[in-house]
Order: sequence, then C-alpha cells, then structure tokens
Amino acid sequence: MTDAADDTDMTDTATDSEADASTGEGAAERDDAEPDLPPHRAVPRSGRLDSEERQGTPYTESQVIMPTVKVVAPFAFTYGLFITFHGSGSPGGGFQGGAIMAAVVFMIAFAFGIESTRDWLANTVVVALAVGGALAFAGIGLVPVALGGAFLQYDLLPIPVLDPVKYGMEAVEVVGIAPIVSGVLMGLFFLLARGFNSDGDGFGNGSLDEDGSIDEQQRDEESIDVPDATDDAAVADGGHADDAGRAGDGAVDTETASSGGDRR
Amino acid sequence: MTGALALAVGSVASTAPASPVVAQVTAIEASLLAFVVLTALATALARDVLAAVIVFGAYSLGMAALYTFYRAPDVALTEAAISAGVTTVLLLLTLAKTTRIDHDVAFESVNLPAAGAAGFLFAGLLLTMGDIPAIGSPDAPIWSNPDVTQWYLTETYAQTHVENTVMAVLAAFRGFDTFGEAVVVFAGGVAALIVLHREVFA
Repeated sequence: MTDAADDTDMTDTATDSEADASTGEGAAERDDAEPDLPPHRAVPRSGRLDSEERQGTPYTESQVIMPTVKVVAPFAFTYGLFITFHGSGSPGGGFQGGAIMAAVVFMIAFAFGIESTRDWLANTVVVALAVGGALAFAGIGLVPVALGGAFLQYDLLPIPVLDPVKYGMEAVEVVGIAPIVSGVLMGLFFLLARGFNSDGDGFGNGSLDEDGSIDEQQRDEESIDVPDATDDAAVADGGHADDAGRAGDGAVDTETASSGGDRR
Repeated sequence: MTGALALAVGSVASTAPASPVVAQVTAIEASLLAFVVLTALATALARDVLAAVIVFGAYSLGMAALYTFYRAPDVALTEAAISAGVTTVLLLLTLAKTTRIDHDVAFESVNLPAAGAAGFLFAGLLLTMGDIPAIGSPDAPIWSNPDVTQWYLTETYAQTHVENTVMAVLAAFRGFDTFGEAVVVFAGGVAALIVLHREVFA
C-alpha cells in the first residue's frame, strides 16, 4: 500500500497500473472505484466509509464536517420524510421530499467521500428507487383502469378503512414520485462524480471501465467514427471517398479499416 | 389550507388595500429583491466559474426566501431543494473535474452592446408594469378567477379530502400530467446514463 502511494507521485498511467496491481486485496473489493480517477487522485483507499484520506481531492477527513454531517443527516432525512408523507396537509410533497432525501445523500458523500458512499449505497438501491417509483406510480394509476374506471381515479382504489382518495394521492407521492426523484438525483450525482467514459479525452482521463470490455467497445466506436468523419468531408470529391478517408487518417490500423469497411 | 389562504389574503388586503406596487414593498421584501438582483448580476459577471456557481446558489436561496415571503411555500421548497441544493452540488461536482484557472480580476468586463440590449429589454418590460395588478391584490385575475383558482380552492377539500391544494392539483386533478413529469425525470436519469456511456448509476 505504501509503495503504491509513493509511486503515484509520478503521475503516469503506467504507475497507475502498478498501483492497481500492488494493492491486490484493495482492488479486489473496490475494483470499480479505482480506474475512473485521474492519475493525480489515484491513491489506494480502504473500504470504510469514514476512512477516506486521499490527496488532491476536496474530500478529506475533517473534524468539523464529518461530525456535523453525522449529527445533521438524521434530522435532514427525517425532514425529507416529513415533507413527503405530510404533503397532503402542509406544503411539500414527493418531489420536494425526494430532493431533500437525495440531498442528504449528497451531504454524506461530501463528508465521507463520493466513492465510499457509492459503494455503501449500491447501484441496486438507486435503480430500485427510480424504477420502482415509476412502476408504482403507473401501477396505482392502472388499478382503477383494471376496475373499470379512469387512470388515477382514486375513489376506485381498493383501500380498506381509510379514505381511498386521500391515501391514494399519498401513495402516489410516497411510493411513486419521491423514490423516482431521489433515485434519479442520486444517480445523476454518482454519474457526474464518476465522469465521462471515454479514452483519454473525457473527464476521467483514463480507462474508466471495470473489465476493459467497454474500452474495447469504445475504441471500436471511435475508430469507426474517425474515418466516417473524414469520409463525410471527402464525399464532395466524388467516388474516392473511401480511399481519401483511409489515406487521410494515418493512424488507422487494420482493425479500423476492416470495421469501417464492414459498415459500408 | 383554504382558511389559511383566506386569512393570508385578508391580512395582505388589510395592510395594503389596492395601493400602488411601490407602496407595498416592505423592508424585508426590498432587501430580498436587492439581494436577488445583485446575486444574479454577480453570477452573470463573475470571472471565476466556481464563484459564479456559489453566487448562483445564493441567488436561488434568495429566490426561495422571496417565494416564502409571497406565500408560495411549495415553490419555495422546490427552489431551495433543487436549485439551491441539488443543482449547486451537481455544478460543483462538474467543476471539480476541471482545472481551475486563477483570474486577476474578479469580474468580467461588461460588453456594452449586450448591456445596452439588456437595458432596452428591461425598459420594455418596465413599461408593462403599470398593467400588472398589485402584489396580493384580491382583484388580480389569477386570484379572483372563479373558474380556475376559486374553483380549486373551494372544491379541493370536498373532492379530494386533502388540505394542500397544490398537491391536490398535482396528484389528483392533473395526475396524468404529473405521471408524465415523473416519467420525464426517470427518462432524464436514463439519458444521463446514455450520454455518459455508463450502464450503472453507482
């Protein structure tokens, strides 16, 4: 671990691969968090949420921020829940409450590190919130249709004892809108934190995928795009578009040429 | 909710009955408006992008306070949570991926033709101010309209049994529109995945 930390002083992609190789156990449990960082941030980290010490990032262990977030987060989350659940009787509703609950996750991420929070809050949770919310909203709307009414005709909802109109609306807000909004906002946050997935010229400045498959795919797509672009420029010349395109791009390898040819 | 709204309108009408707009502006309101205008100008003119993002968050907070002052707490909550909170965080996160450039001056130099065009637009908008009803006026069409606003205010509790008229309109009277909006939010997340070439959120 210390060797790798020293190696990263030389900001080089080769050093990064060495660091990944030398931290075997760390890379095994956090293999998806390492490669997306730019070289100056690629410091090995442990998996604990509150043990994030990295150079060159805005997230350091702060004696002020971390305890403050620990104290504030439960109250802010409860406030989000209140805004969501009490939307029928006070200002607010699913959209605002979901946004507040997502903001609590942002707060935790800024205090304890975005990568740690991303691992802690698995992709399954984020996707389940967004997809489950959309399906629940559609389901609540379609139940009255199945019973012979209109979409979202709340008085037909089979809710026992309670008022079906009021609690149907509450159900839409609580299990429909709030999970969609919080899930999508959390997803956008983690996506932006991870950056653009490309070779070299994106935000991440490196190979961003876990197993290299996306890289291959990406390289293929880009290598297809390059001759296409030159072809488009050369189309005005007439029938020699293919030749001009391949001759114009000196870096095109055989795979590129063949895949470009396959497309045509 | 209806009672509270009637009370609110009653208090507004009693303090400022059908007086010109300028006479109604209280000190809190004036300072909030000045804060919003100044932060908006600072956002537009700040040379450093990080400073612009932070001042923009302050602008959103001022707008949220202004909405609260004008008794639109639902809009204020949304403005505070989305604009001041989430948008600022997402913009900061994007900036953290870029390189910060040190600037010698704090503000951009003003482009005079652009400022002149904005001034003309501002003057044109000012000309319409005379026809806008006073803030909180009970005669304002958006309030006194018997077919829409008053209908919702009187019928909401009878038909949906909830006190929050805004939520009743969103979830019940215009529920299908809200379903469309929720799906748009969902589609926004999916579109971000596609644009960023990713298959998982986290």
